[in-house]
Amino acid sequence: MIRLHDVHKSYPTHFGAKEVLRGVDITFEPGEKVGILGRNGAGKSTLLRLIAGVEHPNSGWIERRMSVSWPLGFAGAMHYSISGADNARFLARIYDKPIRETVEFVENFADLGHYFRMPVRTYSSGMIVRLGFSLSLAVQFDCYLVDEAIAVGDSRFAERARAALADLNARASLLLVSHQAETVRAFCKTAAILQDGRLIRYDDLDQAIAAYQAA
Amino acid sequence: MSEAIGPQASLWSCFRIQTRVIGALMLREMGTRFGRDNLGYVWLFLEPMMLGGAIGAIHHVTGHSLPGGLEPFTFWVIGYIPYYLFRGIVNRAPAGIVGNQSLLYHRRITVFDIMLSRHLLEGAAVGTALAGYILLFGATANIWPAEPGKMVLGMALMLGLSHGIALLIAAGSVYTELFDRITHLATYLSISFTGAFFMVFWLPTEMQKAVLTIPTVHCFELVRNGLYGTLVPTSFDIPYVTGWVAALNMLGMAALRKARRHLIV
Repeated sequence: MIRLHDVHKSYPTHFGAKEVLRGVDITFEPGEKVGILGRNGAGKSTLLRLIAGVEHPNSGWIERRMSVSWPLGFAGAMHYSISGADNARFLARIYDKPIRETVEFVENFADLGHYFRMPVRTYSSGMIVRLGFSLSLAVQFDCYLVDEAIAVGDSRFAERARAALADLNARASLLLVSHQAETVRAFCKTAAILQDGRLIRYDDLDQAIAAYQAA
Repeated sequence: MSEAIGPQASLWSCFRIQTRVIGALMLREMGTRFGRDNLGYVWLFLEPMMLGGAIGAIHHVTGHSLPGGLEPFTFWVIGYIPYYLFRGIVNRAPAGIVGNQSLLYHRRITVFDIMLSRHLLEGAAVGTALAGYILLFGATANIWPAEPGKMVLGMALMLGLSHGIALLIAAGSVYTELFDRITHLATYLSISFTGAFFMVFWLPTEMQKAVLTIPTVHCFELVRNGLYGTLVPTSFDIPYVTGWVAALNMLGMAALRKARRHLIV
C-alpha cells in the first residue's frame, strides 16, 4: 500500500514559488493498476518523483508499505559514463540481486546488441528507456511507477514492454502517468485525474476518461 | 512535517544495506573516474604519488636545508600527500551531489552514501600512495616509520576533517553556486596555513599557539611524528582534532539532511 497524506510541493522560480501539488490525498492498494491523467505541466512527473522518494514534499507525507520502483522514464536512475552492463552490475549490488543473472536478464530483455557494452551516453533516448525498463524488471518491485515514455521505444520493444506490464500479474501494482487516455486504457483498470494540483480518483475508467476529455 | 515511511527495517538490516550501497558506489566511482583504459585503476594511487614525488624532487634538487636536519624529499612528500587528500576531497565536494544526482532515483542511495564512498575511495588511494613512499624511503634510505600507527591515525583524522568539511560544502552547494566558485581559491590559499609545509617547532611560541588552533596542523604533525619519531619535536593534541572531526561531521550530516529535502533532482 502507498498512501499520500496531504502532499504539497512547490518549486522556487524567479517569479516566486510555483505550486505544483496543493494537497494530494490518495491510497494505492497492492495489485492496483492506476492511470494518472494530466495535461502537460500538470505535475505528473513531480507526483511520480515524490512517490518514488526522489524528491521530498514541502509538507505532508508519504507512506510506503511495499517496494516502489524509481520513476521509469527518459531520465535518471543510471550512470551515463558507464555501460549498460556496468549499470546492471551496479544495480544488482545496490538491490542485492545475483549479478550474473541480472546482467543476462537485462541484456536479453533490453536487446541493445553491442551497445550494451558501451557507455550509456552513446545511447538514443529510446535505448535509455529500454535499459531503464529492463533494469527495473530485473530488480522486481511491488509497484512500478511508469512515465508514459514507456510507450515510446521502437515498436518491437513497446510490444514486449506492454507484455511485461500486462504480465505484472495480480501481485504487482502499476502507476502510469500519461496525457493520453488511450495509453491509460491499454494498461490500467482505474484512473485518476491530476488537475490544478489536486488528484481526483475515479473508480470507473470510462468515467475518468470522459471527465478528462471534457475538462 | 513531511516524513516518508517505509516498511520497518531493523537497524542491522539498515546497516547491511548501507554497507552494500557504499561498496557498490566505491566500485562504480572507480569505474567512472579511472575506467579501464591504459593503466586504469593504477592511476588511483599513481596520481598522488607522482604529484608528491614531483614536489619532493623539486625541493630535493633546489636543496633547501630544513631545521632539524630533515631530508627535504621525505619532508615534502609526507607533507604533500596528506594535503592532497584534504584538497582532493574538499575541491570535489561542490560537484559531489550534482554529478551523481541520477543515482538518487534509487531511494536506497543517500547523498551521505555518495559522499562517504567518494571519500573512502580517495582515502584508500592516497593511503596507498603514502604506503608506497614509506616502502621507498625504507628501501632506498633505510628510513622506516618510528610509529606507523600514528601515521595511519594522522591520515584517518585528516580524512575525517576533510569528510566533514566536504559534507558542509556539498549541502551548501544545493542552495548556491558560490561554493563552486570559491572552494578552489580557498583550498589554494589554505596551503600556507594547513600545516602541510611547516613544522610547529620552527615557529615562535606565540605563533605556535595560534597555528595549533588549526586542526589540520595536528594531523600533519602526527604523520611526521609517526615517521620521524623523536628525531624532531612535534606537537599535536589527538582529542582536540577528534573533537573537530565529530563537530564537523555532525554539522555536515545535519546540513546534508536539510539540503536533501530541498534538492531538485
